[in-house]
Amino acid sequence: MKGRKKIIFVLAAFLWMCVVLPAQAGDVDISDEAQKCLGCHAKHGLMKTFENGDSIKAYVDAEKFRASAHNSLRCSGCHTDFAGDKHPKRRFRSKEQYKIKASLACRTCHTCDQIRARSIHAKLLNEEESGKAHPCTNCHGSHAVMPVGRKAYKNEKQYCLKCHGYKLGMEFKNGEKLSLKMDLALLQSSVHKKLSCSDCHFGFSNSQHPQRNFKSLRNFSIANSEICRRCHFDKYTKTMESIHYTMFSQGNLNAPACTDCHGSHSVLHFGKERKLIAQRCRKCHAGVYEIYANSVHGKALFDEHNQDVPVCIDCHTAHDIKNPLTLDYRERIPDMCSKCHANKSVVSKYGLSTDVVETYLSDFHGVTLSFYRKQREEFNKPARLIAVCTDCHGTHNIISTRSTDPAIVKANLVKRCRQCHKDAAKNFPDAWLSHYEPTLANAPLVFIVTLIYKIFTPIMAIGIILQIILHIWRYAVNR
Amino acid sequence: MSDNNKIRRFSAFRIAEHWVFMITFSILVITGLSQKFYSLDLSMWLIFHLGGIDYVRLIHRYTGIIFLIATSMHVITGIIGIAFRRWQPSMVINKKDFSDAVHNIKYYLGMEDHPAICDRYGYRQKFEYWGVLIGSIIMVFSGLILWFPVSVTRFLPGEIIPAAKVLHTNQALLIFAVIALWHIYNSIFSPEIFPLDKGIFTGTISRERMALEHPVELARIENKPVEEILSAHRETERHENSEVN
Repeated sequence: MKGRKKIIFVLAAFLWMCVVLPAQAGDVDISDEAQKCLGCHAKHGLMKTFENGDSIKAYVDAEKFRASAHNSLRCSGCHTDFAGDKHPKRRFRSKEQYKIKASLACRTCHTCDQIRARSIHAKLLNEEESGKAHPCTNCHGSHAVMPVGRKAYKNEKQYCLKCHGYKLGMEFKNGEKLSLKMDLALLQSSVHKKLSCSDCHFGFSNSQHPQRNFKSLRNFSIANSEICRRCHFDKYTKTMESIHYTMFSQGNLNAPACTDCHGSHSVLHFGKERKLIAQRCRKCHAGVYEIYANSVHGKALFDEHNQDVPVCIDCHTAHDIKNPLTLDYRERIPDMCSKCHANKSVVSKYGLSTDVVETYLSDFHGVTLSFYRKQREEFNKPARLIAVCTDCHGTHNIISTRSTDPAIVKANLVKRCRQCHKDAAKNFPDAWLSHYEPTLANAPLVFIVTLIYKIFTPIMAIGIILQIILHIWRYAVNR
Repeated sequence: MSDNNKIRRFSAFRIAEHWVFMITFSILVITGLSQKFYSLDLSMWLIFHLGGIDYVRLIHRYTGIIFLIATSMHVITGIIGIAFRRWQPSMVINKKDFSDAVHNIKYYLGMEDHPAICDRYGYRQKFEYWGVLIGSIIMVFSGLILWFPVSVTRFLPGEIIPAAKVLHTNQALLIFAVIALWHIYNSIFSPEIFPLDKGIFTGTISRERMALEHPVELARIENKPVEEILSAHRETERHENSEVN
């Protein structure tokens, strides 16, 4: 009963304070004793020094005290050693010890049972029993204390950080631990800096702080990744078509969830620094990453900070990542390469030809591939494997042919040819004009044959047509 | 017309040969050109309805084999016939063919009053025959190279493959142009022939057409001088024209 009365009183006092007397805030009735103490303690300069050399200010902000929930209390109500003229000199080992000691005063009014009733405190109290102290003032402050729910925080973030700015942690059933300490600077640098905590941590607010139990840290991360879809639903649905989701739904909890790639509080835009993307994938695909880093693309990315080169997601996509070992994926490889290699604005500045895609597509392999693709799409017809870009150039280990001795390129090419054309002879790769249009210099035979027909065929056709026209004309004249 | 009016021109062997070439050629053109112009909707439609690109290639190659056999047989029988059986080498091109060509162009332009006087085969037929025969041989060889690129490059340089490809594809277009324009015109759409020259299917030809197109051969058959055949023919022609008028 007493407690409730006090709350009502405090409430009434607060209302009065806010509504009736905003202008006269300085004139709140504080006790005579408090006024007397403030005579000295409202002045800067008083210090309390501890045995270990730490010190704190013995200063009390009179304004803040007047506005606090405890403004009607006398100083000696909390500082029990002090009263009237009593001002003993006390010794403390450290600031920590002082805080713990001072906080004990709170428990005279706010009993342990009362405190425990708030879920957020239960764990702290348990820890306290095992010897780890959590002084109340760490979160609630001292002379400026206010009822938590009515505290005028600038925003929710500050409210949460009141606790989560300190060393907090949670433990999972399997014994794993997770720090719940948040770094405001980290939050401010993320793309979500304008969001409030409860926008993601729904269910949590200044009045609610449910206690949740997770089996493991992994389960916790997965559950938290579900939050993202509330805003990023398009990405979420794409993810459901990915090989990662398939693995996940088959019970592999190590398949990546949103936060594994994007992080949580520090979530960033990847676009600015593309190598970050590759480095994210590296967390699981370290082997591929190493190979990629040594490829012509990877070297340009890491050594030259080239932002034109493809990173993992340019071929594999970011969210609906498909199994790259399927026929469907394989048949789309020329499309992937052509995104850059058929685009003059991307590759021309490196002296690369954009004919490479067209010369492939119009040659035997390319034509067959496009037919197989259409046949599979339209008639669900099974198709054989046909050489695509990566079969000759490699996938993650693509190297430049320009910096390599042509003889080595050719020797390597024979090996690639032999994967399908088992008995291919050493000069078999010459059957492929290496993406070049035939010229007199690089393929004289092809060039000459083409030229002959270019001249001969029209002459022949025109000759025949002339003959026919003349014949018909003569016939008409004869009649 | 009585039977006397018909003159035997082609043996059963030649009739059969023509059928084989006609059918294989058509299949090769359909399956080949649809591969050459693969991006056209019609080609796509055709290829899909023939069971896909793999089947089209199979059909093309095995039809090619029949075509190869037929071509070889033609060449071999020709050589044997001329060498051992005293066949007239009637397809051999000679000086007269060139003068005939000039003569005929003059006739078309109104500078001569009658067309060239031809033997068993006119210069146009010879031109078509040799064009198609040489073209066919080119097609057969380049086709085989494309079919077995791995084996071919064991003995020949790799560049032979793309060269065979441009040869095959361009020669195909050339032969197709010769057949589609020239042969089809001469045996179907020519106003003197329309609707169809049945000669190669029946093996016979009317004496009238012989007199017009192959007067030299007719004179040899009937043992008359060429002038007599020609004047007789012109007489009937004039007669017919006056009747019409």
